[in-house]
Amino acid sequence: MLELRNISKTYNPGTVTELCLFENFNLTVHDGEFVSVVGSNGSGKTSMLNIICGSIPLSGGEVLIDGKSINGLKDYQRYQLMGRVYQNPAAGTCPNMTILENMSLADNKGKRYGLSFGVNNTRKEYYREQLSTLGLGLEDKLDVKLGALSGGQRQAVSLLMATMTPIDFLILDEHTAALDPHTAELIMQLTDKVIKEKKLTAIMVTHNLRYAVEYGNRLIMMDKGNVILDKSAEEKKSLQIDDILDIFNRISIECGN
Amino acid sequence: MLFFATTIDGLQMGLCFAVLALGVYISYSILDFPDLSVDGTFPLGGVCCTVLMLKLGIPALPAVLLSFFAGFVSGAVTGVLHVKFNISKLLSGIIVMTALLSVTLALTMLLTKTGLTTTIFSFRSENLQGIFSGRASQLLGSANRDYMILIIELVFVIAVKIIIDLFLKTKLGYMLRATGDNETLVISLGRDSGLYKILGIALANGFVAVSGAMYSNLFMQYDNSSGSGKVVMALASVIIGLAVFSKIRFISDTTSVILGAVIYSLCLNYLVLVDTNGIYLKLLNAAMFALILIFNEKTSSFVSSRSKLKGGQGRC
Repeated sequence: MLELRNISKTYNPGTVTELCLFENFNLTVHDGEFVSVVGSNGSGKTSMLNIICGSIPLSGGEVLIDGKSINGLKDYQRYQLMGRVYQNPAAGTCPNMTILENMSLADNKGKRYGLSFGVNNTRKEYYREQLSTLGLGLEDKLDVKLGALSGGQRQAVSLLMATMTPIDFLILDEHTAALDPHTAELIMQLTDKVIKEKKLTAIMVTHNLRYAVEYGNRLIMMDKGNVILDKSAEEKKSLQIDDILDIFNRISIECGN
Repeated sequence: MLFFATTIDGLQMGLCFAVLALGVYISYSILDFPDLSVDGTFPLGGVCCTVLMLKLGIPALPAVLLSFFAGFVSGAVTGVLHVKFNISKLLSGIIVMTALLSVTLALTMLLTKTGLTTTIFSFRSENLQGIFSGRASQLLGSANRDYMILIIELVFVIAVKIIIDLFLKTKLGYMLRATGDNETLVISLGRDSGLYKILGIALANGFVAVSGAMYSNLFMQYDNSSGSGKVVMALASVIIGLAVFSKIRFISDTTSVILGAVIYSLCLNYLVLVDTNGIYLKLLNAAMFALILIFNEKTSSFVSSRSKLKGGQGRC
């Protein structure tokens, strides 16, 4: 269970550009929930993810996992519990290393990175098997450098790498935003499959309202640092894309977008 | 005949600088860290080896290997300044390089106080050529000692190359490469990328110090000014090597760097033939480096535009 309790976040405090984004923000994500988060630009979606992951400092409040505060943990320590797929397909992989080397890196998460050989040949079959679930033919390209793959292929590998070892949370930060519609659809289906298979708790930020409605079992809409809509599994089933679009348009007009 | 002697000299220096270039390959190419402390750790390795051999009576080979740790510690300081105190890469290198000027002077004082020879800035002794004298250097007969020196150097260079190649294939080595390639990924894997940076810079400077120690042995002297310009020389070697040879499939990056160091040092030696007074030497040296960078810029933009094309054609 992940809890954000009384979170406040002010950017550039004490200057003319001071911006108070969150004030007493609260959110609880229960185990097994797949939460899609929508909202206009500047509504605080990505800031929320960054607060959970410890990438930006808090002005106040607490982030708790299973009731224990993780405020004192640095970003890299928190990632021992979480996996994250970024908007930029290049962020989740090493472009100058081969697919095999990237998979080995991810496979070793949570273990020691010592002086034993990086690639364990007995695991090769497992990597091939995992890659073949993507349906992109990458299982035959183990020795190709990641940098030579397309954005969609990289994002698929990123997703695989982020979920390879047991994690408590999966953070998806607009992970289909940089992809073409066809590839985005594919990555989205893969994401759903992985989350269901591994029974992960996931938070997905997206600008695509259709994905937000179709996937996941909870939907949250954010505006100016507040949750203005929170639909749980049952309510979400009857939700139509037009319903959200209406609310979305209303808040967007208020913002002047 | 002069040309031939120059070639042998160039090869001897080149193989010595190959170890330096292999160190800088770790910091510059693997970690993307242009490390200026190299100008300080190169003479530090030389003076440490000299003190160990002549004052403490330690045999040449262990003395050269022990000088690795002097460089390792200095490199770690550079890394800590950058990672823990957020000082920029260039400045943390400059700070350590400047500090080492005093450290090397103080160590040189240990040698010259006894009134052996020369000044506090340099020191010369026939007894310093440890790794290149002794029984091994006579294997091909005393007339062929120059060739034997090349072979001994080659053994060192290949050993360092194999160590680096093997290290980069370990899990720790993978993390080092990932740190230079995509730091975000290292953090996502739940690891502190800062520690890998410190380790990498420390290792790099360790090898630089070994090169400094070999250099002292080669010329039978230690010179406090031997560090100046070593960053440029090492970077030039790495860049030439990778630009020229890395496109050939069966040549590994480390081999390319070694070849780059040898070629660069040969070119420098041939410049001496052209400019016998040595007045324009540094100018020619700089011009050559600039030309290499321009050449490299051209080839790398060619390569990246080609790989972009490849990526675009990929499925999905």
